[in-house]
Amino acid sequence: MNAPAEKDNSDLRYAEYVLGVLEADERAQVAREIAASEQAAAAVAMWERRLQALCEELAAQEPPADLWLRIRAALRHGDPAQRVAHPRLWVNLPFWRWLALGTAAMLAAACVALATLLLHRPVRPAIPYMASTLSEANGRVGWTATMDLGKARMVVVPASPATLSAGQAPELWLIPKGGKPIAVGMISTVAPITLELSASLAARLGPTATLAVSAEPPGGSPTGQPTGPVIATGAIGAAPAGANPTRSVAVLERTAPAADFG
Amino acid sequence: MNTTAEESETLERLLARTALRDERAFAEIYRRCSARLFGICLRMLHDRAEAEDVLQDVFVTVWRRAQSYDQAVAGANTWLVALARNRSIDRLRQRQGGSSCGAIDLDQLRDEGLDPPAAMQASQEYRLLQRCLDELEPNSRRSVREAFFSGATYKELAERRQVPLGTMKSWIRRALIQLRTCLES
Repeated sequence: MNAPAEKDNSDLRYAEYVLGVLEADERAQVAREIAASEQAAAAVAMWERRLQALCEELAAQEPPADLWLRIRAALRHGDPAQRVAHPRLWVNLPFWRWLALGTAAMLAAACVALATLLLHRPVRPAIPYMASTLSEANGRVGWTATMDLGKARMVVVPASPATLSAGQAPELWLIPKGGKPIAVGMISTVAPITLELSASLAARLGPTATLAVSAEPPGGSPTGQPTGPVIATGAIGAAPAGANPTRSVAVLERTAPAADFG
Repeated sequence: MNTTAEESETLERLLARTALRDERAFAEIYRRCSARLFGICLRMLHDRAEAEDVLQDVFVTVWRRAQSYDQAVAGANTWLVALARNRSIDRLRQRQGGSSCGAIDLDQLRDEGLDPPAAMQASQEYRLLQRCLDELEPNSRRSVREAFFSGATYKELAERRQVPLGTMKSWIRRALIQLRTCLES
């Protein structure tokens, strides 16, 4: 006889859950019921449909620009290590693939940049190198960044970045895992740029950090945090121990024999 | 702020593609919904850093659980809003002392809903809910609205209104039962 009353009571408890008035332990109990019972899940969904229309009274609030990057970083999206099965990441980096496919002009520019990076430095295989492919939302590669921790420098080479509107310039950011973006410097949509890395910045480069490019006023973000839309993001791939950067340089020399390595 | 049937269908398609690990579809869901969901988190938590954390958690969950999303149980929009609300409420419960009271500005909570011109723009569901809320006695109506927007517990609501816990419970339970009948009629 009391079955309908019991059903009524549990339905009321689902209503209280959706409304949000239950204590933590009671909420956890209802959450378990939802997971275990289709009927409970359906009853809760019904109350959600009934009450959620109230949300229409709330104004939308734009989340900060870097939140999307934090989500991507948390899910390790755009991380080349996720896509490349080969353990020797360095020789497989999309950077080199892109270089092989890029135009001759782009190649020459990239080579000059790398030559600048490598000039006057005897090649030491143990130097920690890192690289990142900065992709746009449509999957197109905007820039590639190569980091030479031995010289505390980063070379950022444009691939095919989207055109920015007048009065906007691309700024590069480093986003440590769970942290706020740190400005690295202004880059270019047409020319390779070499950026000096401070010791604290260099120390934060690693596979848990993300690089991102946002559109900012020409002098850079006035606030020290990204103010414009994020154009491209990329995870940082470390060259694993045993991978020899000189081999990659050899690839470059072979692809573009005209480049002057001094 | 209301979502049209067309928007719901689009969201459902995007969620289905997200379930197939399509990062672009996932990005499109973020583009379409993040501001609306952030508004919901921010209103409950009254703290930007916490609301950002919760929204991040919501989207990470969307990616991970997209495969278990069941269109037959809830519309995509309902599912997303419920996720944002539930994560925000859970976060409120985790706070030291558990109180959502301190941060809430009571004057900010409207007792009567959208004004008529704004209500014209709202969805049919909203107008129906509003009509049913209008039929409740004032204490019940105010308490339900306050509970929904603040995520406060019965105990916190009772303390805020300075009424016994039992009174608050009966105001809200009566309101929920009446709403159920009214919305089904």
